[in-house]
Amino acid sequence: MGNVTQNIKPWAQKLENFCIKLGKNNKATYPVMAIAFVKGICRPAFTMMDKTEKPDTKKYTALREGLTELIAIPTYLVCGEASAWIAKKLIKDPVESAKASKNLMFIGVCGAALFAIPALCSVAINPIVKKFLKEKKEKELAARPEEKHNSVLQFKPVLIPFNGTKRPLNTPYNNTSARIGMKVGGV
Amino acid sequence: MINPITSFITSNPLSTIAQSTSTSVTIETTMKAIGRPGFILIDNNISTDTKKYAAAKEFLYQATCLLLYATIVVPLFKNGAFKLAPKIFKHRAEEFSQFANPKQFAEYRKYAKLPYEDRVNNTKIDKVLPPKLAKYLHTAKETPEQYDTIKGTIEAGSLLGSVIGLAILAPQVSHAIIHPALRLIGMEEPKKHHSSNEKISEKQINITV
Repeated sequence: MGNVTQNIKPWAQKLENFCIKLGKNNKATYPVMAIAFVKGICRPAFTMMDKTEKPDTKKYTALREGLTELIAIPTYLVCGEASAWIAKKLIKDPVESAKASKNLMFIGVCGAALFAIPALCSVAINPIVKKFLKEKKEKELAARPEEKHNSVLQFKPVLIPFNGTKRPLNTPYNNTSARIGMKVGGV
Repeated sequence: MINPITSFITSNPLSTIAQSTSTSVTIETTMKAIGRPGFILIDNNISTDTKKYAAAKEFLYQATCLLLYATIVVPLFKNGAFKLAPKIFKHRAEEFSQFANPKQFAEYRKYAKLPYEDRVNNTKIDKVLPPKLAKYLHTAKETPEQYDTIKGTIEAGSLLGSVIGLAILAPQVSHAIIHPALRLIGMEEPKKHHSSNEKISEKQINITV
């Protein structure tokens, strides 16, 4: 058996060790965290590649999707590990405790998917997205000072009090100046 | 009150579900399909129509994921890993050849976890396993061989399938399915067919803007 094991390639040996570890101890948090991690990269990337949507809609959707998975990863970990910790405290027998911790970890992950992640997302995502969009708008305005200038200088009606034309009744008429030098037009 | 809870969290069926990647991911996706649309519907910051639309879209996305996962991903990757592994781990080929498929191995592992008293006269074992393995489980007084490599191989295949299926394939497939489905249930307006003149005018507008 030992000689046969030595004949397999190093990468196959590493893969086998990984499989043995996974077979002995497969935690419920592993697949959900792996899915959330890859989804957090791929889903926003696919959204950004969509040519049918408007750029702003794409950015908003991609940001939401990315943030959802970013929240999901630590939530799965915390809920799963916390549930396993509770199981260890609840059951003293080591064999039963190990089994209970894995089972309760799975229940914790389900609880995270059902309650914790949607609740956290609905609380946390909207303010973050709003803040991001506000900052982006401010940056855009700062990058284009002309537009900012135009946006500040708007046409506002200036009300000047007008009481009719007032002319001095006795206008001094200098007759001598009109007769000196070249004259354009006639007075 | 404590006893039913402790007996539930230490039960073997729950342990089998929790240790299986495909089953736990299926249940977790079902939870998502309930939880996410539910939380969208109770959100007071958005209008009723937007809530209904967003909730329906999210539910359809999760349902598509679930359907795709259960019908294509799990059988393909689980069975694929089980068939491919003896070619990579040649020294384990004999172990793998004892089982016809991953389902039979899951049955073996379920009964192998039971104590000797529960296995010795258990007739269910004879129905689901080949005679050689059934006899071994009936007679083994100590804990039977668990075959962690086979279990790990199946789980690794499921893990890879879950990641590829749910994170890469499902968003693509759901994108093609969701909008026609929403139009079918009347939650989205039918797609407008632009005439050639309209297209030209749109292009002109884009150029001028």
